[in-house]
Amino acid sequence: MTATKKLNLKQKYQYLTRDMDWEPSYQKKSDIFPHEDFEGIKIVDWDGWEDPFRLTMDSYWKYQAEKEKKLYAIFDAFAQNNGHQNISDARYVNSLKLFLSGVSPLEYAAFQGYSKVGRQFSGAGARVACQMQAIDELRHSQTQQHAMSHYNKHFNGLHDAPLMHDRVWFLSVPKSFFDDARSAGPFEFLTAISFSFEYVLTNLLFVPFMSGAAYNGDMATVTFGFSAQSDEARHMTLGLEIIKFMLEQHEDNVPIVQKWIDKWFWRGFRLLSLVSMMMDYMLPNKVMSWQEAWEVYYEQSGGALFKELARYGIKPPKYQDVANAAKEHISHQLWTTFYQYGQATNFHTWIPKEEEMEWLAEKYPNTFDKYYRPRFEHWEKEHKKGNRFYNNTLPQLCQVCQVPVLFTKTEDPTAFSHCDTVHEGERYHFCSEACGEIFADEPAKYVQAVLPVHQIYKGKCGGPDLPDVLTDHYHINIGEDNFDYVGSPDEKRWNEIKGIKPLNKDNDAA
Amino acid sequence: MTYTVTVEPTGEQIEVEEGQTILQAALRQGVWIPFACGHGLCATCKVTVIDGDVDVGNASPFALMDSERDDGMVLACCATVESDVTIEADIDVDDDFEGYAVEDFTATVTKIVDLSPTIKGVHLSLDGAMTFQAGQYINLLIPGCDGVRAFSIANPPSNNQEIELHIRHVQGGVGTSYIHEQLKVGETLPLSGPYGQFFVRSSLPGDLIFIAGGSGLSSPQSMILDLLENGDQRQITLLQGARNQAELYNADLFTALAEKHANLTYIPALNDANEDESWKGFKGFVHEAAKEHFDGRFADHKAYLCGPPPMIDAAISALMQGRLFEKDIFMEKFITAADGAEDNRSALFKKI
Repeated sequence: MTATKKLNLKQKYQYLTRDMDWEPSYQKKSDIFPHEDFEGIKIVDWDGWEDPFRLTMDSYWKYQAEKEKKLYAIFDAFAQNNGHQNISDARYVNSLKLFLSGVSPLEYAAFQGYSKVGRQFSGAGARVACQMQAIDELRHSQTQQHAMSHYNKHFNGLHDAPLMHDRVWFLSVPKSFFDDARSAGPFEFLTAISFSFEYVLTNLLFVPFMSGAAYNGDMATVTFGFSAQSDEARHMTLGLEIIKFMLEQHEDNVPIVQKWIDKWFWRGFRLLSLVSMMMDYMLPNKVMSWQEAWEVYYEQSGGALFKELARYGIKPPKYQDVANAAKEHISHQLWTTFYQYGQATNFHTWIPKEEEMEWLAEKYPNTFDKYYRPRFEHWEKEHKKGNRFYNNTLPQLCQVCQVPVLFTKTEDPTAFSHCDTVHEGERYHFCSEACGEIFADEPAKYVQAVLPVHQIYKGKCGGPDLPDVLTDHYHINIGEDNFDYVGSPDEKRWNEIKGIKPLNKDNDAA
Repeated sequence: MTYTVTVEPTGEQIEVEEGQTILQAALRQGVWIPFACGHGLCATCKVTVIDGDVDVGNASPFALMDSERDDGMVLACCATVESDVTIEADIDVDDDFEGYAVEDFTATVTKIVDLSPTIKGVHLSLDGAMTFQAGQYINLLIPGCDGVRAFSIANPPSNNQEIELHIRHVQGGVGTSYIHEQLKVGETLPLSGPYGQFFVRSSLPGDLIFIAGGSGLSSPQSMILDLLENGDQRQITLLQGARNQAELYNADLFTALAEKHANLTYIPALNDANEDESWKGFKGFVHEAAKEHFDGRFADHKAYLCGPPPMIDAAISALMQGRLFEKDIFMEKFITAADGAEDNRSALFKKI
């Protein structure tokens, strides 16, 4: 007697996804899926696509509904118990301001991006996978905003995150990252977001924020993290599948994929510099240093991945060594920049406390005391004299990553890695050789970049003065959302909650 | 206390110790279940319990919902078992796996042959017939050894009363030292089998490439003899790697078979024969011989690899550079006490 073979989950799912598809009879496939060819990626046989996860709408709805019921019960409990009073210190809330205006809108952009590419593949398996992820991303954007909305009742700077994401100068860094990906073709989008971001670099975003929330008593955000993690695992498998699929389908795809990996590794690395600053400076209770995180989550995990990808003829990202060498510097360079521009941010900045400087010196024995501590000590001295330093010159932004040109050369941490090029009679500036190379590959795309500093000078952001730009265009409430944490209404409120006496009045913001 | 967990839909069985998670036991015993985080948060390793008692362990309430718990789902990375259990996992059924039952035998040594200075051929006669697929292995209980040792069967399944094993002497290895230094004809040893997922996928089209290194010739020998006996018409290429002529064994057997069967090509490769004037064959590693013979193009083939981990690793890289990928590569790694633990791996590949 032979046992009847049962369909396994994979086969069941294939029937579900593939059988929902059909062969067009009166339209050409290339007219229906016009984006599939123009990047040069060759797909020989979509049947080679392995569904990275198998989830039917029916079970998805049931599963997510229960998950969210739990999540919102915890949000409610957090709000009713005034959970914001139990965090480590009100300075912590500034990392939420950064997250809410910098990251949550990216979840929404991802939702739009996956919806778009979920229309563009002629392979039904890939279409379904992208559409499923689109729904995840929309949920994440919503649940993140709900997780943090309680803080908006008690602290400043959280009141208009989506608008700020679109307009505030430094938030063009995350915004332009996703705009770049979304305006690329469908295969580049998946290489950028599913592979480079969600697989290679995601732990450098997710772990610091969620562990940071846990270490600093923010139960609402921690719980969001747990609820998102089962979705993230699916997203990572999609990232691996798209890379394997492209590399196995045709050898002509290998150099194209390599170029995208080089580009999106670098774009992601630049974007994550915002996380580096949060880890090293903005979390009152530190989780680990950026350098340690980079070593664990990129150098070790990424190293193992690229060792295996070598079998496909894929090399580690071109500028990996520059990124590895920069791990001792970027958080300090970014925070010292934000400190100087704290009059134009939706969060507060501050000088690290003495014990925090000790921690930084211990974590960065080669760089902190030598290059960065003296700057903080100088600024602190000035602040005590009543001269809290704010830089009133608008920064030069990189044409590609839109980070101000503030990073330094690998061989000389006192010299900017700035470079420039002339394209059709116009001069363009870059933070680094790597960004310059991305521009050179697609100048027609990047000359269109909307750089916030240029927009201010063009008079397109309200004006003419900075306070007008901040108020009218950015919706930043001057004196409440911006300036130093010391002397801010946030600090005052926190001190009231904790029954702490206010600090020296001389420390008031400029 | 140890329980048996049956993993459907393949029907593979694993032994799970008390306190050990299903996932730990499965991975240790070579049964692949999809997983990612390994500690109850991501739900990638979700399986359904069909029968038996399971403790869900420390699964996150966001990864394993109450409704799923009610439906008998658990996360394999957290779940421990409290009885014999049957689970259904999200794994592929292999149409070519015959699933012959594992049985216990008493084996008597009938012949010990010196195949090379470091490899002995050990012939055992069984106290009953063992039905197996060419390429599978047995577990042998060797005197003085803690636990069993696995050895691939070198003879074809048509002869199921006798088992031929190729055993290389691992320096410092207790089991292989016993076999090389003390084992005598007439001695009896307890043995169980057949085990393993290394066999020819007859349902998959494409010509066959076998790459063998050291005593890893055993499985390919069984598989090729079986294919030829059954009149398989596909092109079969056997590449055998060894250090030098003394270590290259059974070359006469395969040279003769290649003369007799038009669809068999035999290519021996010696990687330490530069000084050897009398060696007219390929000089270099076996994966280099494969690259040369196939002109670096392996697409549309099916490859079967058997041997020590460095050889397998080099062969996989060569095959993939020649555009043959994971789904068309099958392998049996001979891991000995001399091999180090595997270092950090990504989730890119499932089985290679």
